[in-house]
Amino acid sequence: MMGPCEAELFSEIDKLRAELLNNVEVVPGCQRVEEEITYREILSRIENVILGIVTSLSKDEAPVLALPNRSSWANISFDSAIGLQRNSGSSSTSIRSDSPSSVRKFAQILKIFLVIYKLVQSNSYATKRDIYYNNTQLFGSQQTVDSIVDDVSCMLKAPRRSLHVMATSKGLIAGDLCYLEEDGTRIDCRSGSAVRSTNNPKLTAPAVAVSSNIVGIRNIVSSAKFVMIVEKDATFQRLLDDDFCAKLSPCIIITVLMVRKLWDTLHIPIFALVDADPHGIEIMCIYKYGSVAMSFEAHNLTVPSVMWLGLLPSDLQRLRVPEDALIPLTKRDENKLSSLLTRPYLTSQPDWQKEMELMQQTKIKAEIQSLAAIAPDFLTNIYLPNKLRYGGWI
Amino acid sequence: MLREIQEVLRLIMLLGEQKQQHSLKTRRGLLVLLWTETGASVQSLNCTVAAAGRWSTGIKMEALQPVLTDLKESMFPCAWPSPQPDPEELCAFTDLYGSLRLLLSFQKKDERFNSTELCARIEAFLHTFSLANAKINVHLKFKWNQQTFQRDLRVKIKRTVALANQLSRFLDVTCSSQPPECVKKDCWCQGGHPVVGGLLPLSIPPKVMDQGLFGELSIQPVTLLRPCLLQYPNLATQLTHIKVLVFGPSNVPVAGPSTFFQNLPAHLDCQELGLHGLHCSSFKDHVHNSGMVYTVEQEPSKDPEQESSLLPMQQSLRLYLFLQHSDPFNCHLSDLMATEVLIEHYLEDILNNNRQSVTKALQTELKNTLKASNHRKRSQEELRSAADVILSSSISVVSCSSDVDFRTACLNSMKVRDTHELSASLHESLRRVTSWKFTPRDRCYSAQMEEHPESDDATQREI
Repeated sequence: MMGPCEAELFSEIDKLRAELLNNVEVVPGCQRVEEEITYREILSRIENVILGIVTSLSKDEAPVLALPNRSSWANISFDSAIGLQRNSGSSSTSIRSDSPSSVRKFAQILKIFLVIYKLVQSNSYATKRDIYYNNTQLFGSQQTVDSIVDDVSCMLKAPRRSLHVMATSKGLIAGDLCYLEEDGTRIDCRSGSAVRSTNNPKLTAPAVAVSSNIVGIRNIVSSAKFVMIVEKDATFQRLLDDDFCAKLSPCIIITVLMVRKLWDTLHIPIFALVDADPHGIEIMCIYKYGSVAMSFEAHNLTVPSVMWLGLLPSDLQRLRVPEDALIPLTKRDENKLSSLLTRPYLTSQPDWQKEMELMQQTKIKAEIQSLAAIAPDFLTNIYLPNKLRYGGWI
Repeated sequence: MLREIQEVLRLIMLLGEQKQQHSLKTRRGLLVLLWTETGASVQSLNCTVAAAGRWSTGIKMEALQPVLTDLKESMFPCAWPSPQPDPEELCAFTDLYGSLRLLLSFQKKDERFNSTELCARIEAFLHTFSLANAKINVHLKFKWNQQTFQRDLRVKIKRTVALANQLSRFLDVTCSSQPPECVKKDCWCQGGHPVVGGLLPLSIPPKVMDQGLFGELSIQPVTLLRPCLLQYPNLATQLTHIKVLVFGPSNVPVAGPSTFFQNLPAHLDCQELGLHGLHCSSFKDHVHNSGMVYTVEQEPSKDPEQESSLLPMQQSLRLYLFLQHSDPFNCHLSDLMATEVLIEHYLEDILNNNRQSVTKALQTELKNTLKASNHRKRSQEELRSAADVILSSSISVVSCSSDVDFRTACLNSMKVRDTHELSASLHESLRRVTSWKFTPRDRCYSAQMEEHPESDDATQREI
């Protein structure tokens, strides 16, 4: 049973949770019916593309693929409950097989189609990394594979998980969480069955590498009061070193992936701990509202309830972070900040907007590590507990 | 006789420069009549050169006559006054172009010559002349031993090129090569697109200065690649021949081969040009073609059984070299004529004196011309390697599919029986549609477009 101090620690968080549950249509994770596309439908969609190519050639016409344009804001609309989502009838780019400048991409897309076709047909899985290393000469870089897989996902109107292509996981998770992976492996993020982080061999608290096959994860059990998304591995490990999960127990800290899954299952507040710089803010916006590039899958990826816990630009002034720990914004930072301020979702987040405008005025940024300049354990023992206790999120 | 005809043309061109006509629509005619007479013990070859149409307007024939007389005596010491040509021949000529502007006749006695060879040389010379003087319609008629050879050289497609020093040249850019069968109607450019190179100053060697050649001498290249394949950007091309034509300041071809050009391939960097090698064609070809021809060595075909429509398209390159000269102290017609003779006579020495710079300039021009061809090779390679992936991926999906309807639709679409035939059929179709991708260009000459209202092709009649 929770003591009076612990109850006081989580009182604001509990209030937030109640508010979230009131505002958001709650569907228990076990009852959530996801619109899954059958494997037969995926194969059929790919076959339709191939038939289109064959038909073009039968008419002595050069085959052309219509690639949905995933980089234009003109194809995006904003829904506060979902985030950024792709409009129907959005523009597309033609990838021609008779143009030397685009034929390589055409071939890369066809190759990905074939790989996916075989994976789905054989009910096996591969990571994007596997695909790249099997065809390095064709693709040239991992980034190309990643981009084309997302393009194909958008073309086929199917989430990447339905294509049996997984991301190469580099994410870590720790705290009050247990679940089963698809193959039945039981994962307990609190205790010993963990993968030590390769960046910190002296890790004292366990952390688990997040499985790539998030769809397959089931039986999630947690009594966590909140989830905290931590932008950087270095900060994550710092928290582990300082035994954050025990001090603020019950909670979950995570670096990447699985956020949406946790929200769908646990419906507990999700906080973001990012650097006070435009890049960190953008990462957080992507978690909350999604990105233009992945807007076609917004329903499955975004968590609109994410709250910005820190590091806030106003924290830098309030806490009087030493000046030598502060960094001037670069031109690139300023441009990114200006771009963020024009995003359609900011109008529904006046507090975020205010913080960004403050950063724009002061022209200063700082990493989370800058708090160590105040005191070595300031982050874990003062900053975060106070933020969580007194509702210092926006 | 060829030399004499060349001199007369030079005179006509120098006279014409004084009242230069810039319009392509100016009609000018040039008639070269040759006929033989056999006397008691000697054979004579008579020649009349006539010009009619819009030539050197404003210059009176009466004023010109003394000049012509002097020139005849100095240029043709062995020539005799010629009997006048058949008036009917001249009538037919003037009917086409209007009144005569110039008529010059001369005769060479005791001329031992091979009629057929001479005729071929004169024809080749006039044809070369026509290539850089496309505004002028040239008519050649040669009668000997009851035989008549007639050739009318009228250019179908002309193009004006602007050289340095505000000079213009009117080039014959017609390309008579027939398009392949797979090319649709009106999708073939019947002309070429000349590219003007930079003006290269030439230093006059002291030996030539001693002979009286002063002033500023320069040379300017113009390249013309044929047939034009700009509308087929993906088509692989293969350069087979390079023909070098040199024109004097009066724009009359410099006749005869030169050692400099014979040895040129040895000094060019073929690797930089993307060529396997260049070889001079035989001397006989020089004589008849009035220009130096280089044959490009080809690499063996990677796929000897490749379908003909997928083989590289052969192109030839015409390299015009226009000599320019200016000397403020040379203003009389006779001086200009003499200067031209000097330049032609000592051209070998002049070019050798400027070997490095001329070779470098030609290397640059050839490199620029062949850049497009080399780019096509890279594009072809990109298309080919991607096509392999596209086809193998598509065939794999069809082969792996358990959907009978899908497989049947694919096979029926290409009208084949199995996936093996489907693979071959798709391969051939993809290669064809990508290689022959057509991108229309405004500057190309479709079947309907002509620059000059006269539509007669070059005709050749032997009676």
